[in-house]
Amino acid sequence: MEPEKKIVAGIVLTTSKMHKVIFASLVIFLVSFLIMDIFIGSVTINPSDVIKAIFGDTGSNLEIIILKFRLPKAITALVVGMALSLSGLQMQTVFRNPMAGPYVLGISSGASLGVAFVILGFSTSLSPDSLRGLGNWVLIAASWSGAGLVMLLIMLVSTRVKDIMTILILGIMLSSGISAIVTIMQYFSNETMLKAYVIWTMGSLGNLTSSQLNILLISVLIGILMSLFSVKMLNALLLGESYALSIGLNVRFARVVIFTCTSILAGSVTAFCGPIGFIGIAVPHITRIMFKTSDHKILIPGTILTGGAVMLASDIISQLPGSNNILPVNAVTSLIGIPVVIWVIMRNRKYSDLF
Amino acid sequence: MRKGMSEILKLDSLTIGYMSGKDEKVLLPPLNATAFEGELIAVIGRNGIGKSTLLRTLTGLQPSLAGEIQFSGRNIRDYSRLDLAQKVGYISTEVLKVSNMSVYDLVALGRFPHTNWIGKIDGKNHELILDAIKKTGMTSISHRFVSELSDGERQKAMIARILAQDTGVMVMDEPTAFLDIGSKYEILHLMHVLSKHNKKTIIFSTHDLHMAISQSDKIWLILNDKLIEGAPEDLMLKGAFDHLFDPSPVQFNSEHGTFSFKSETRGSIYLEGSGKLRHWTERAINRLGYSTSKIKTFPYIITPAGNNKKWQIVTNNSSRDCESIYELILWLSREESLII
Repeated sequence: MEPEKKIVAGIVLTTSKMHKVIFASLVIFLVSFLIMDIFIGSVTINPSDVIKAIFGDTGSNLEIIILKFRLPKAITALVVGMALSLSGLQMQTVFRNPMAGPYVLGISSGASLGVAFVILGFSTSLSPDSLRGLGNWVLIAASWSGAGLVMLLIMLVSTRVKDIMTILILGIMLSSGISAIVTIMQYFSNETMLKAYVIWTMGSLGNLTSSQLNILLISVLIGILMSLFSVKMLNALLLGESYALSIGLNVRFARVVIFTCTSILAGSVTAFCGPIGFIGIAVPHITRIMFKTSDHKILIPGTILTGGAVMLASDIISQLPGSNNILPVNAVTSLIGIPVVIWVIMRNRKYSDLF
Repeated sequence: MRKGMSEILKLDSLTIGYMSGKDEKVLLPPLNATAFEGELIAVIGRNGIGKSTLLRTLTGLQPSLAGEIQFSGRNIRDYSRLDLAQKVGYISTEVLKVSNMSVYDLVALGRFPHTNWIGKIDGKNHELILDAIKKTGMTSISHRFVSELSDGERQKAMIARILAQDTGVMVMDEPTAFLDIGSKYEILHLMHVLSKHNKKTIIFSTHDLHMAISQSDKIWLILNDKLIEGAPEDLMLKGAFDHLFDPSPVQFNSEHGTFSFKSETRGSIYLEGSGKLRHWTERAINRLGYSTSKIKTFPYIITPAGNNKKWQIVTNNSSRDCESIYELILWLSREESLII
């Protein structure tokens, strides 16, 4: 390829060098946000105390704050951002739809239906305590199935209907239908369960137990490994089903792999952190704008890094540095994501159906 | 079979169509045809007769209902998806909807059946991609995004992609649709070069009968009851195209290779003159629905010759000069009743 040269800050760069520079900056951003997220909170902690708490064994209150609250929360934010963004990228490619994302298409709703079944549906047979042990796996499995079910439904329709807006409206209808079912379930459930569910829907990064965090980490790791395996398939799917088949892709197999991967990623996050909106749809677009490529060899690691960084930044903002109040993280991600989505919709008409 | 050329594709009683529910919807009676290495084959037929379905079936994008498709003597059903992708490549009329994909990246996807699990482009693959880009004349714009190309450039990029796929057979569904005349012939020239110099067998559908007849080595003519194959000139001599457009009012004139509207002949007129001027004057007269008669009756027309720069209309009692064919036609339309 004729290397395309770009001039950044007076330095001439080829495309691949350009990508390396962006990757390096993303890693720097990610690490600094991670550190900031641990340092910033309602209690101001001296940086040297933070380091002592992580590496030493002082047994102080500070150590409890850092190790039991801030560190798990920061790791959760990182993992959630990575998982949701990656699932959004995969969905946008598979559906060939710039508006696809776990939240917008109702995949998160599907996952929440699964969660509602576990928290509300079995409330008579399962005590809240029994949800703690094996319950975590039940919760996440229900979430995966809910997400997978909605994915399947959307896919079935999108093979017949090509129009992006129709699919989008279908996603909204599915979400509304699901929330109607959940409302009925809420009506018949007891107070404790109802409260547990409502708090869950607000979305939170800080309420995970250590075993839940472990499960989340394992699931997301599996999802990321599967996504690396799907790089070539995703690239082929960019061309659409006919061309993908004609260059030798087993499209059905590819869809099964990618759907499983997406359902695991979006479902795991939703199970433990609630439905978190607009990260999944916005981050892939931000990544494409930065890297200016459609190659998933670049886009997948790029989206993972960007997603982690954006989610950490959202978490930092939600703590309102310098105050004692904490905003719901869902509100912050929406405020960051919605302008990106609007920009995508408002783009030049010619490109409005591109992704 | 021709000597020195191998039969690369064979359709044997191939039945194409769709499965709708449990019912087979057969589009055409069983088809038989062959394609040899390096042939440029045009698939001709009226709209909706099943050209696209035939091409999709050939590429293995949809199953056939009965009969056989053989690539290099082996049934298409015995090929894996990946093996088939090394035998036949495909371009449809579908416009790519991808942003941020460079021409290079698009062409690189043609290497899909030849690369490892993550699609790594190593030195050899890179060379082949550059070669495909060069052959299609896209080198200077290989870094541009596909979404920013003109229709003609995009089609060339798509051709570079199947060239990189390195298949013996290239199937193209209306490769020149939507293109302006210039790009149309540029693409056709490229197809011609690829079939002659690179020994690619190219099977393409088109509505442009003129183009198909003048450029292709062979035509697969799809009629309602059969597929006729042969050199364009053979089919022309057989009068195979005459009923292609029934029952529409368009008629194909196998003598000239031109189209005209079927219309009642309104009469005939004698034309005196020769050469280019006579040819175009005759065309204009034919367009009005008159034939040229061999007997000199009034009124007749003398085309410009020698010092005379004007068309002359001679009636039994007068003669009239016309500055242009346009003026001549105006007179003919006005004085319709005078002509037998």
